[in-house]
Amino acid sequence: MIRFILADLRRFKGGALAVVVLIALSVALSVTVTLQERAVRLGSARAAEKFDLLVGAAGSETQLALSAVFLQPSPLPLMSGAVLAKLSQDPRVDFAAPVGFGDSAYGHPVVGTTTTLVSALSPRLAEGALFARLGDAVIGADVPSPLGAEIKPMHGGIDQGGHVHTEIVYRVSGRMAVTGTAWDRAILVPIRAVWQLHGMEGGADHDHADHDHAGEAPDGAAAGDHDHGHEAHIDADAALDEHFDADTPGIPAVLVKPKTVADAYRLRQEYRGETTLAVFPAEVLTRLYATLGDARSLLLAIAIGTQVIVVAAILLVTIMHVGARQRQIGALRAFGASRGSIVAIVWGELFLLFLAGFALGLLLGYAAARFISASLAATTAVRMPVEFAREDASLAVWFVALAVLVSIVPALSALRLSPARALRA
Amino acid sequence: MLALDIADLVMCFPGLDAPVLAIDRLHLAAGARLAVTGASGSGKSTLVNAITGLETATRGSVSWGGTDITRLSAGRRDAFRAAHIGLVMQDFHLFPGLSAFENVVLPVRLSRRLKPAERERALQLLETVGIARPHQSVETLSRGEMQRVAVARALLSKPGVIVADEPTASLDRRTGDEVAELIVRLAREGGATLVVVTHDPALTERLDRRIGLDGGRIVEDSGEARAA
Repeated sequence: MIRFILADLRRFKGGALAVVVLIALSVALSVTVTLQERAVRLGSARAAEKFDLLVGAAGSETQLALSAVFLQPSPLPLMSGAVLAKLSQDPRVDFAAPVGFGDSAYGHPVVGTTTTLVSALSPRLAEGALFARLGDAVIGADVPSPLGAEIKPMHGGIDQGGHVHTEIVYRVSGRMAVTGTAWDRAILVPIRAVWQLHGMEGGADHDHADHDHAGEAPDGAAAGDHDHGHEAHIDADAALDEHFDADTPGIPAVLVKPKTVADAYRLRQEYRGETTLAVFPAEVLTRLYATLGDARSLLLAIAIGTQVIVVAAILLVTIMHVGARQRQIGALRAFGASRGSIVAIVWGELFLLFLAGFALGLLLGYAAARFISASLAATTAVRMPVEFAREDASLAVWFVALAVLVSIVPALSALRLSPARALRA
Repeated sequence: MLALDIADLVMCFPGLDAPVLAIDRLHLAAGARLAVTGASGSGKSTLVNAITGLETATRGSVSWGGTDITRLSAGRRDAFRAAHIGLVMQDFHLFPGLSAFENVVLPVRLSRRLKPAERERALQLLETVGIARPHQSVETLSRGEMQRVAVARALLSKPGVIVADEPTASLDRRTGDEVAELIVRLAREGGATLVVVTHDPALTERLDRRIGLDGGRIVEDSGEARAA
């Protein structure tokens, strides 16, 4: 039986191949959509995992969450440094770390923060040590510089027409382990170095706190002209000071690790006010996923629609094919093949094609999702895990059940004619 | 071997007023060898289809050894044909991509497991009909060889009846003669009733009885003539 089916398929290999490819492509489309949506969702959820609570200046919640979690360059307003001081001393807070963005080096974001955050992101460094001097930097796993390399920070990004800060050159002191988040691309430096670079600390007047420190995009030229207070050299060997008080300069965001879940909700409540904003990044992302989910539903509907069309086309092809094969089917019956075996042959051939197309489509879809994830990871450093989940099994079962049903139709229609009439066909 | 009894058989095709075939009575003794002749369109092929159950009769009965095949369901009729009637057709109907041996055993294999004895018989039959290499692919055989393979296939299940529809018409004369001789000899050796539709006088010569058809009716019957 199988040998006969295979011999038959060999005779129609062009058509069989076309059917397999058609099915494979349509299956691949749905597989890619499903896997990719899941990958983006899981990947960014994991990326947000370490960021329990974010406090920033009043503004857009989404912007705050995206900037801190994905280090997306955007014009975040600054909030008073006193908030950081207050949070650091709050008994409900495990730790509070400032996050100061705005600079970049070779396309990698330079983020001013404290050793606490570095330890939170990477409890053990992959190599080297935490920063101990103002001029030290700890780099993310995806930053190509070796230990001891020099990093010249630039105000804004190259594409934003920023200028190179000449006052300081950071030296790489350590490298974080892989976190699978956007922070793998970041260069972490002491926050005070960032403040001094931008003339916001020590002698500089506090009007600077109002300047749009985080995002230079809207007025890059203005940022270029901006007087940073001085062009004086910053002492890279100065010791770290990670104690913050009410005179602390402005910062775009503070990452807060509350002690308990209840504390987290209380803190969020407290810091939601006129001047500050507190968000759970995971919650913001969940809202974004809802949108993403809608997009997925749409894409999936399109993919399923494509499949329906493909199945209909295949049905047409098969019915025509069976028509063309009436002679063969008639002959098989005339020479004594049982009706059951004829149904099995026609059905088996078609089902085999469906199955082959399905398997090929799974592989193609998986490969495509892997490829997309890999290229996304290359630009954002967020690892997007491409994996099958339990609920996929029910989709697969549906497809196979549908394939069984659809392929039985031509099989039954093959027996409609009497063998003599089939032979004349 | 099975005897054939036809009574009041009428075959009509949709759209045609006159029946394509109308036979009041025909008896063929078990083991007899019958030639059916007639011009094209005389109803020869319809007769073959009726007595092999390839086409459903409009009216009347066709009995082989007492089994009226017009009363069987389509599936049963297919099964009856598989068990009792060996068919040889003008254009062979062999399946490309399979070997000569695989073609011979294909109908059995598609319905059930091939028994070792059937395997042996298939190889022996191929040898008898003169196919030297049973595992050669059928597309590479000559037309004469193809028809020999078809003859071997018809005989595999030791049928009580062999029905051949123009078995030599698509072969050249010499090959045709060889195939005709083969069919008649094997039918005799197997003790099968033989019905051959043919134009070929040489083939008709080899058979005991001849009926001539015209317009779907028997207009000539050498058996009756002799009886009379």
